[in-house]
Amino acid sequence: MEAGKGSTDLEKEVLNAGLCTSCGACVGICPYIKVVKDRVAVIEPCGITDGKCYDFCPRTLTDISELDRRIFGQERSDSSLGPYISIEMAQAKDSKTRNRGQYGGVVSALTAYAMSKGEIGATVLTKPFNESLMPTSVLVEDSSQVLSCAGSNYIASATLARLNEAMKQQTVSLGIVGMPCQILALRKMQASKHENGSKEVKLAIGLFCTWALSYKSFHEFLKGKINPSQIKRLDIPPPPANKLVVVTEAGTLEFPLDEIREFVKPTCGICFDMTSEFADLSVGMVEGVDDWNTLIVRTPEGKMIIDKAKEDGIIETKPLPEANLSHLREASLLKKKRALDEIVKRTGDKNNLLYLRLSDAELRKLR
Amino acid sequence: MSVIKIDRPGQSVLMMGNEAIARGAIEAGVDFSSAYPGTPSSEILESLARVAEHFGLYAEWSVNEMVSLEAAAAASLTGLRAIVAMKQNGVNVCSDFLMTVNLSGTKGGLVIVACDDPSAISSPNEQDSRNFAKFADLPLLEPATFNEAREMTKYAFELSERLGLPCIIRSVTRISHSRGNVELGELPERKRSPSFEGVSIAGAFVALQHAALHQKLEQAREDFENSKFNWYVGPEGAKFIIVTSGTGWFYSREAVAALGLDSEVGILKIGTTWPLPEKFIIDHLKPANELLIVEEVDDFLEQNIKVLLAEQAKTLGPIEVYGAKSGHLPACGEMNQDKVAKALATIKGVEYSGRDEAYAQRARELVQPYLSPRIPTFCAGCPHRASMWAIKSALKLDGRDGFVTGDIGCYSMGAGPAGYFQLKTIHCMGSGIGLATGFGKLGQFDFNRPVVAVCGDSTFYHAAIPGLINARFNNSNVLMVVLDNAGTAMTGFQPHPGSGIDALGEPAPVVDIEGICRAIGVPVKVRDPFELDEAIEELCDLLQEDGPKVMVFRRRCHLAETKERPQKKVFVDPDKCIGDECGCARFCSRVFNCPGIIWDPTTKKARIDEIVCTGCGVCAYLCPQGAIVIEGN
Repeated sequence: MEAGKGSTDLEKEVLNAGLCTSCGACVGICPYIKVVKDRVAVIEPCGITDGKCYDFCPRTLTDISELDRRIFGQERSDSSLGPYISIEMAQAKDSKTRNRGQYGGVVSALTAYAMSKGEIGATVLTKPFNESLMPTSVLVEDSSQVLSCAGSNYIASATLARLNEAMKQQTVSLGIVGMPCQILALRKMQASKHENGSKEVKLAIGLFCTWALSYKSFHEFLKGKINPSQIKRLDIPPPPANKLVVVTEAGTLEFPLDEIREFVKPTCGICFDMTSEFADLSVGMVEGVDDWNTLIVRTPEGKMIIDKAKEDGIIETKPLPEANLSHLREASLLKKKRALDEIVKRTGDKNNLLYLRLSDAELRKLR
Repeated sequence: MSVIKIDRPGQSVLMMGNEAIARGAIEAGVDFSSAYPGTPSSEILESLARVAEHFGLYAEWSVNEMVSLEAAAAASLTGLRAIVAMKQNGVNVCSDFLMTVNLSGTKGGLVIVACDDPSAISSPNEQDSRNFAKFADLPLLEPATFNEAREMTKYAFELSERLGLPCIIRSVTRISHSRGNVELGELPERKRSPSFEGVSIAGAFVALQHAALHQKLEQAREDFENSKFNWYVGPEGAKFIIVTSGTGWFYSREAVAALGLDSEVGILKIGTTWPLPEKFIIDHLKPANELLIVEEVDDFLEQNIKVLLAEQAKTLGPIEVYGAKSGHLPACGEMNQDKVAKALATIKGVEYSGRDEAYAQRARELVQPYLSPRIPTFCAGCPHRASMWAIKSALKLDGRDGFVTGDIGCYSMGAGPAGYFQLKTIHCMGSGIGLATGFGKLGQFDFNRPVVAVCGDSTFYHAAIPGLINARFNNSNVLMVVLDNAGTAMTGFQPHPGSGIDALGEPAPVVDIEGICRAIGVPVKVRDPFELDEAIEELCDLLQEDGPKVMVFRRRCHLAETKERPQKKVFVDPDKCIGDECGCARFCSRVFNCPGIIWDPTTKKARIDEIVCTGCGVCAYLCPQGAIVIEGN
């Protein structure tokens, strides 16, 4: 990883360049960087020239091969989905969990299970709606509270800011559920030469993500149409629906996705990762199947939890149909290709990939 | 016991100039007194309020100088004697009423004390309020000594009553805030009883009233011709005369003595500077062919003397006038003996060196190591520091290059390093929100930077409410932040309509700031600025809203707080403090910069200065390591 850069560089290269994902990795470490809603800002330069903030950021130089080697012990062989042990369909056995969850309830079920088994002492989760359109990241210390964080919100919350805070006090091992950029930042924290508590994160569950919305413009858009504080659920059903469904206390509204796309954070256009490739477990939807999740097991730690959860009847799995798997690959690969195109469009130089460092072999496969 | 209460006529007592003015009012049997606090005027009303019960007089802190003058004028219109005190800016505030009450006239003695702040030591401007006397056709008196301040005040009541006009006394910082001997006069016994018949109303007869006003002023001039406040010292038939008023009297005497010019330079001291006692002046200037005019701030006396010289050219012949116009003395800044001596030495061709520069340099070098470098800053524990940090943070997070329009109060220091250079304008009281309402309407010209207007609690009542109403009426995009520290802090924590007590220390109803905002129809939030994260987030949310909105940052001035409650002890746990490292980089002592926090370069840890720290605890909240500990928490 590149050394010798601090908050001033972060501000220039990431925040002012519109690359910030609002993951929160740089927030909560020091008094200089703050987040409100999904906006991160350096309030005052700190003068540090080799800072954690720059080092942790998922949009500063990121060497994919090096991270692969560090986390998985080897470089990836699958260019579209990243390193994995298995890919299956899964669902929570408990119907209440399934109903509260976005699809199969696997994330909630596994998190609660890992906590109840003592694998992790607390988990950083995100409450999708808390009388506000803006999701809130929270530290859940009791497995019974996990379900209150079930469901999706398409706005990025600075989850890692909550993790940074938790690591200052927490003495127990931690879990986290996050978006691909957040899981990437977590891995950069764990790989950093700067001392931090992130090695205590024992379970990282990554979610699938195609993009996140900018709070400000999306809120502005919704404000005239509904009361954003009454939102109970957001959903983007699988294609060909091509719409965003907004469920509120006052009723359900649908917006064509094309109308929504203009609110996508600009940084999502250069994102390389749809399936949280650096997580222990990656979870997303299954096209055409409402109450099941796609589950990618990536690390031995992830596999161990899954095996135990299956054994204890917490989740059940079944093979993912070949058509779904190839769809998933296509979608993920498409995101990568689009990201590379967009990056080169921005830099004007096909050798300048902004934050990404890919091996020549990888790059050849993608181009 | 208050010095102005002493009942021993003839005794000499050491008094502050403002106390001497208050004593003069007492000796004139003043019934009614009012003021809005402002340096260097505040001690006049404070002194009167302290003895109000004893003498059976009325004293109030008014909401602003306009109301203050109007209230005092009401008492005068019933035949009572009234005094109103203000700093120079206050004269501007009350000038609208001043420019009509001169026409309507008054009844009981009404004295307006205008205390100017030359060099603007505690002011947003430098101004010579004497011009208002000429502007409003009102008699003007300028005390030169502390005893004269007492005597003139007493006389001003009598003159005002005789003429049926308000009388203006112009003081300056070095009269109001210095101390000197004052000879006590008799305390009066007489009690006036008020009655009111109405006043002549402006309208068709204004021009006639104006003419009558000029006649009254002529009466004042006649009175001044024999005034004991005007005198001449020096050789008979001096060819060189210094004409001076106010503080110039002492400076001139000292300069003449220092240069050994007593035998050739005379000093004509004028205490009644508008209208000028023309005959008195002409008589004394007859032998002179050179004049030096010494006064503080504008060339007020100089210009009026020059007009007189022109009118009397046949009698007096050609006279060379030195002063501001000739460049010998500045028409700005405080006057002092050195400036006068230098001017006099230059004109007279005499050798003079005020102070040996080499000596001064040596003295500076000797003292320097013992002085820590200091910038104007908020006190330790000041809530404004947190408020400014919250505003800075919110504007940075908002990301639209928002800025702050400032106002008058302790928080004016927000324009400098103490407030992280946040304030981009500072003018007069109420101008923060006034300017902001304009900035907030420039969207149609593609000026869309968010604007935050700050104002203090006292300023809110004083001058900010019309601006806020304007913002509401014209739907201006402005965020007003009321920095409510529960008193008129900068001038000495005098009470105001939100304080719950009045000038006499008696309980008073509280005028609710947020209630006013709500009644105007403006959304309002209230927050303790020490709850910084919430404060920042709420400011960010408010900035997203269209139209006017108000955030009240409410926390009592911590100096006032520590006078009443024992302060908590705060200390740094050196094991937790990470100092220069990433994650802190000396945030508390380098950036947040409370004077109660010291950086210890030997241990490379922060330390609390127990003498300066007021125990507010906001640094403990801000410390990223939890290294700052509040005892007992």
